[in-house]
Amino acid sequence: MEFAFYFSAGIAVLATLRVVTHTNPVHALLYFIISLLAVAMCFFSLGAPFAGILEIIVYAGAIMVLFVFVVMMLNLGSSTMAQERQWLKPGIWFGPAALSLVLLIELLYVLFSSDVTATITGESVDAKAVGVHLFGPYLLAVELASMLLLAALVAAFHLGRPEAKELS
Amino acid sequence: MQLTLSHFVALLPLLVVGATAIAVMLGIAWRRCHQLSFIISTVGLNLALLSIIPALNAAPTAVTPLLQVDNFSLFYTALILVSTLACLTLTHAYMGKTEQAGFPGNREELYLLMLLSATGGIVLVSTQHLAGLFIGLELMSVPLYGMVGYAFFNRHSLEAAIKYMVLSATGSAFLLFGMALLYGETGSLVFSVIGQNAVTDLTRMGIGLMLVGLAFKLSLVPFHLWTPDVYQGAPAPVGAFLATASKVGVFAVLVRLLELSPATAEGWLNTLLTLIAIASILVGNLLALLQNNLKRLLSYSSIAHFGYLLVALIASNGMGMEAISVYLTAYVLTSLGAFGVVTLVSTPFKERDADALYDYRGLFWRRPYLTAVLTVMMLSLAGIPLTAGFIGKFYILATGVDAKLWWLMGAMVLGSAIGVFYYLRVMITLFLREPGMHHHDAPTGWGQQAGGIMLMLVAALTLILGLYPQPLLDLVQHTGLAGL
Repeated sequence: MEFAFYFSAGIAVLATLRVVTHTNPVHALLYFIISLLAVAMCFFSLGAPFAGILEIIVYAGAIMVLFVFVVMMLNLGSSTMAQERQWLKPGIWFGPAALSLVLLIELLYVLFSSDVTATITGESVDAKAVGVHLFGPYLLAVELASMLLLAALVAAFHLGRPEAKELS
Repeated sequence: MQLTLSHFVALLPLLVVGATAIAVMLGIAWRRCHQLSFIISTVGLNLALLSIIPALNAAPTAVTPLLQVDNFSLFYTALILVSTLACLTLTHAYMGKTEQAGFPGNREELYLLMLLSATGGIVLVSTQHLAGLFIGLELMSVPLYGMVGYAFFNRHSLEAAIKYMVLSATGSAFLLFGMALLYGETGSLVFSVIGQNAVTDLTRMGIGLMLVGLAFKLSLVPFHLWTPDVYQGAPAPVGAFLATASKVGVFAVLVRLLELSPATAEGWLNTLLTLIAIASILVGNLLALLQNNLKRLLSYSSIAHFGYLLVALIASNGMGMEAISVYLTAYVLTSLGAFGVVTLVSTPFKERDADALYDYRGLFWRRPYLTAVLTVMMLSLAGIPLTAGFIGKFYILATGVDAKLWWLMGAMVLGSAIGVFYYLRVMITLFLREPGMHHHDAPTGWGQQAGGIMLMLVAALTLILGLYPQPLLDLVQHTGLAGL
């Protein structure tokens, strides 16, 4: 279990790094899908198969495929790659990367300074347990999430109306 | 988990606002009618305000682990409902009567989005659980993206929407990361359990990251950079909503988190908050000094005002909570009034809102009563006696002196002194006689419209609370948090 967790977590980190550094958008998105699959594997190894499956179906499956389609339809060719490569100069990424590295070191220090006694156990949380929680103590959260989706839908509908082109 | 009738009664304001949003949506689906949508939303919000009375009898009660309905949450619910109501009436005026002389395109969705955002605000003020905090915050922010960019054919509005969306999402990411750390360390999402056993470095880090996310929404320095652009680009009534209802919701949840969680009782957090408060007061006031745009000026002044509010939060002695309630009430009234005047002068919708200071030059000679309202609001924002703003500021100063926060007091006095300068500058502009400048004007007879009447009420209330604050002071004494 422990090996599976660290292995997939490492793949997730590496894949995400490539998402950021890759110059071709379609390739970057493919790496992003790998990263999401690896995160799903992390969930599996932590004993949450339901969350892992949702991660694959919803993120890697539905959202990312849509994303890839859109990016492919935009037909971003070699000119974008050249532009991206131009933007990815060390002068640009070095500052933020160094600062993030400091934060990462700080986080790792904090994580390992407190004596870690918890180990990864194989206790599995199945779909039924998730459902019982969602429609038990978190009932209101489910209802409010539906309102949130409605709000997002209405906002997207309004902003995406055809007049957006005509009037501008 | 059993939900009984008393739970539903306690939840009534939230349910009524949610039902109103659904009713408006169905109304739009059935037939688009600007007037009808406005009437349904107004009636719904008024019903929600009335439903606070039965809810008060049911309080304090915890409805599922997520929400805690107590006097504190109901007071802030009322504040959010009132400001939403005011923003709705302003929107109605702003949209204009017809497509030709007014907002081109769909107008009804703005009411729907505003109601949904208010729902999120009500969740925020009553939540005692990190999951509730996050869902409430998102439910409040997501409709705001649509509202800020509502006039999407206007370049500034679209730009503001994109800026707000990207930065707000960044803030949410910080918030989520902080929550994950807190949950990983304590194994609970309930405010009062976080940090109960031992406060470790991980808990501190989580609290710090959450603070970043919340400070983004409150536009405290150094997370304030989005504020002026978004306020300027958003349609004026949306700016009013952004400055009042959304900020009240986030500040209320910040107060509850800091008061309930044992993890935040340590000294380092107070030092951090002190630094943020001093920076917000000074930077907000200094940047407002040379603004020639009224909306941007109001945005910078709101940064400073939330710096003042942090002072009361840092003091957090017995009077601190009352001071926060009084100050927020005064701030909401004043902001509504100031943005209300901007809205009415920009009414009906045109390509550009009347937000430049020279649009207001000599307004007194054309619209004397509207000018009087704006004058009162500027005086109240500056904290001049006989206005509600003075009572609020006095309360906070008293709290700060009581807690011996001398550095903060110094910053506050300095900030107020700078503030008087630019508020008075706006007032002078209003009275400058300038012939031949009639770019923008409120429509004649603005006082008989819903927006105008609301504005008059707000101005009257600001003055009355300044002259006779006792009812408000009595009220806020009963708005304590349950479980303290």
